[in-house]
Amino acid sequence: MHQRQRAGALKKSSSQKCPEAPADNFRGSTKKHSICMVSDFFYPNMGGVESHIYQLSQCLIEKGHKVVVVTHAYGRRKGVRYLTNGLKVYYLPLQVMYNQSTATTCFHSLPLMRCVFVRERITVVHAHSSFSAMAHDSLFHAKTMGLNTVFTDHSLFGFADVSSVLTNKLLTVSLCDTNHIICVSYTSKENTVLRAALNPEIVSVIPNAVDPTDFTPDPSFRRDDRITIVVISRLVYRKGIDLLGGIIPELCLKYPDLHFLIGGEGPKRIVLEEVREKYQLHDRVRLLGALEHKDVRGVLVQGHIFLNTSLTEAFCMAIVEGASCGLQVVSTRVGGIPEVLPEELITLCEPTVRSLCAGLETVIARQRVGSLPPPESIHSRVRTLYTWRNVAERTEKVYDRVSTEEVLPLDRRLLRLRSHCGPVAGSVFAFMAVLDFLFLLLLQWLVPDRVMDVAVDATGPRSMWGQGSSIKLNATKGAANPDLFGE
Amino acid sequence: MWRVLGSSPSADKTWKVFWCRGRGQNISRVMPREMGPDGAPGQVVPWRKVLWEHQPFPDNYVDRRFLEELRRNEGIRQYRYWAVVKEAGFVGQQLSSVAIFITLWLYMEQGLLSPERLLLTCLLSTLLGYGLHQTLTPLTKSGCELRTRLADLQSATIFLSFTFGFSPVLKTLTESVSTDTVYAMSAVMLLAHLVSFPYAHPSPPGSLSLNAALFASVCLASRLPGALHTFAMLSCALLVFALWPCLLQRLREYAPNQFTGLCVAVCVGGVVGLASQSPGGAVLLALALGTVTLFCPLLLVRLQRHKDNIHGPWDEAEIHEELGHILHS
Amino acid sequence: MEDESFTDISGKPVSLDCRNHSNFCREFTVSSAKISIGKVLAYTCCVWLLAYAVFWVTENTAVLSSAILITLVGMTLHIHFVKVDHESLLVIGSLGIQVSSSYASGRETTTFIEMNKIKDIVINEAIYMQQIIYYLCVLLKDPSDPEGASSVVPLFQSSKPRLDCLVKVYKSCQEILSKC
Repeated sequence: MHQRQRAGALKKSSSQKCPEAPADNFRGSTKKHSICMVSDFFYPNMGGVESHIYQLSQCLIEKGHKVVVVTHAYGRRKGVRYLTNGLKVYYLPLQVMYNQSTATTCFHSLPLMRCVFVRERITVVHAHSSFSAMAHDSLFHAKTMGLNTVFTDHSLFGFADVSSVLTNKLLTVSLCDTNHIICVSYTSKENTVLRAALNPEIVSVIPNAVDPTDFTPDPSFRRDDRITIVVISRLVYRKGIDLLGGIIPELCLKYPDLHFLIGGEGPKRIVLEEVREKYQLHDRVRLLGALEHKDVRGVLVQGHIFLNTSLTEAFCMAIVEGASCGLQVVSTRVGGIPEVLPEELITLCEPTVRSLCAGLETVIARQRVGSLPPPESIHSRVRTLYTWRNVAERTEKVYDRVSTEEVLPLDRRLLRLRSHCGPVAGSVFAFMAVLDFLFLLLLQWLVPDRVMDVAVDATGPRSMWGQGSSIKLNATKGAANPDLFGE
Repeated sequence: MWRVLGSSPSADKTWKVFWCRGRGQNISRVMPREMGPDGAPGQVVPWRKVLWEHQPFPDNYVDRRFLEELRRNEGIRQYRYWAVVKEAGFVGQQLSSVAIFITLWLYMEQGLLSPERLLLTCLLSTLLGYGLHQTLTPLTKSGCELRTRLADLQSATIFLSFTFGFSPVLKTLTESVSTDTVYAMSAVMLLAHLVSFPYAHPSPPGSLSLNAALFASVCLASRLPGALHTFAMLSCALLVFALWPCLLQRLREYAPNQFTGLCVAVCVGGVVGLASQSPGGAVLLALALGTVTLFCPLLLVRLQRHKDNIHGPWDEAEIHEELGHILHS
Repeated sequence: MEDESFTDISGKPVSLDCRNHSNFCREFTVSSAKISIGKVLAYTCCVWLLAYAVFWVTENTAVLSSAILITLVGMTLHIHFVKVDHESLLVIGSLGIQVSSSYASGRETTTFIEMNKIKDIVINEAIYMQQIIYYLCVLLKDPSDPEGASSVVPLFQSSKPRLDCLVKVYKSCQEILSKC
């Protein structure tokens, strides 16, 4: 009961503060949220989830919401940092276990997370990525504290093996009382609904986006005496690098003017190197190694065809980037890829060497006769499809819907856990929820909420950022921008 | 308690029931309620499963085509009980072989069996088995080259002479170790042998399984009264754990009916042999054999219909083509 | 001259005393509560009762004497090295900043930072134990790079007052720093 009262008080205070906000913040929805993005994956780590969180946060800040990001400490990067436009990032000192994901005990992260949620007056907790233990922890703690939660799933899982059965069970528990779930494609939605046994009505599909200004075509970089196929992906099994290793010799023997440009690094690099060695293709297959995000465009514009050989993919950002640079895209028909681009911009193949080769050959033939659309027209077609502003608008609607929902009190939460997650796992996690609640009461007794200082807002309606406020926020403010890609 | 809750009409429960039950027909029964508030524009513009088009549906819209690509229990294998029992007979046979080996050791330890007799029996059965193996091996086996009889004889001689030479050493190898420890170690190693035995392709037995078995036999043989005993025991171990599975594999490939009969014979032999030394052990072995060969297959066949495996477009694609030839042709 | 009461990060009362020596010289003293006799008695009793329990089992009188020794030494160490009664910050425009803390035993430590080494005084956030707190700190100039800050000196480390108190100190410090 106590929890709900507090949540109510928070809502009241947030509605009170609205009139102070400048009028131009009232485009679209009128309600301003205090959002806490939680994920193990954030800068300086690089990847799809990281840039998703960053770009979404920036667009939400632009719309007048308050956003803070919580992640774990990366090396010496601990504590509180500010990024562009006052995006506040908490790097909490939690132990990293495996693959940048933190260890979870369900409890040990509660004190720090509670501190963040209370001092930032968070109204919506938005967790990202089902690989992130911290995200699941935050969903659990947020419910204990009576906050509304949103979860974004970025990946697909199977159902066949033991490990996926276990992770799916954990996801079921974790999402059982999450208010809303966001998936990046319809396939991903189907997958998540099945994995977590969810009501599909509380799952929204909001695709990822790319920044179209970063990926513009420039045909002057293309060599006209050859046809270049560009591949940009991590060189791992899941990206189908073995298939690529089969395609390269087959097509190179057939077309003497064909060149491959491969960007990315990973354990499967050895396969490509062996192929190159065996068929003496050193001058025609170039392995560029790991690419920085800013260098990707420079590689893409050199090619005619973009090839993606992934074996599984929730939403493939790479093909959108490729098409945005004006390349003709050839890809495997797996996961959410068929939903991403219209038929005229993409050639879909089965994930076999033969089918991919056939698809590539038709595109090469069309390139030779010049029947492919020019890069500029492809770019203009793609540039409006996926924008971060659009993503932020649609995510905002989710927040609006979630913030009106009631948070289950502890007794109903326990019933829900037990009815939804099965008698064994449900009971175990109901017990955990009770322990978490008791731990929260202990913490509230040790350090009451009123003793915690309310944080000075850098973003949102009460933003102090860049207004020449009387209080300097932080020593690192001046150095915020270079901080982003530093270290 | 949870059954009561389960019957409460919560939306997601319906869904769980829905996708557990199947696809197609059930969708229309569940969908109208789901579509309720936001289904209205659906009649005008059909929903498409694409992201690049801005469609007049809310982001959480659920179409009637939702989950239509779901497939269940794809490529499932239907088992027949007696076929599984036949296959499980091989596991029982291996269990029995270990029991036979232990019985022989018990006889040796109590002096009821002289090493000379054991050696003679081993030699005879080896020759018999070798002959059988040779007749079963097809002459035109492609791929690997055939070993000549001379090579076989050579390796047998080397092995036997080395074992014979080292048997006094092996005899005293575990002298400083307590007998209980040796027994415990042998038991663990024989268990490891049984667990790690490659039942699917037993020829030649996997290195972990073979090593565990030989380690156990060295341990046991070192507790026998004389060096000749040790030598006889080790030769017998080699026969039981290394050569016997090879022969069985051949039999399984080329004479499946005889193979089944042989398995039954070994099982019965193991139980009878053990019964002559320790009736309690024999009962336990018989129970274990019954469980492995009769009860477990029953369980497998019965539980098979509860199998509910879901496939769909989200599954990771598998590479079916043989890509090795690109690199190693 | 004023004396205001605030609380520290765990909710215990602290008081802030601002002294205006001149326009360019100001002194801030944060005093936390004195060590209470009740608390000392409680700790001592705990240790002694524990020692007596051990003595009951082992029947070794050395336990009792060592318990007395431990409490005495512990108390001495605590008031000499841990318990800080007052922390003061003396800001003298154009000259520098003096930071001093006086322990319960009367021991005082003082540090002085020259003005030409100081870049700024700011309020920063840090993760302290299982909490995230605000603290006041002096930024020191980097000798090689006049624009960058090489290190920070946290102020009021023992008393850890809350944000409202820090803001007050911060504002008057900035007044002086901006004048010179």
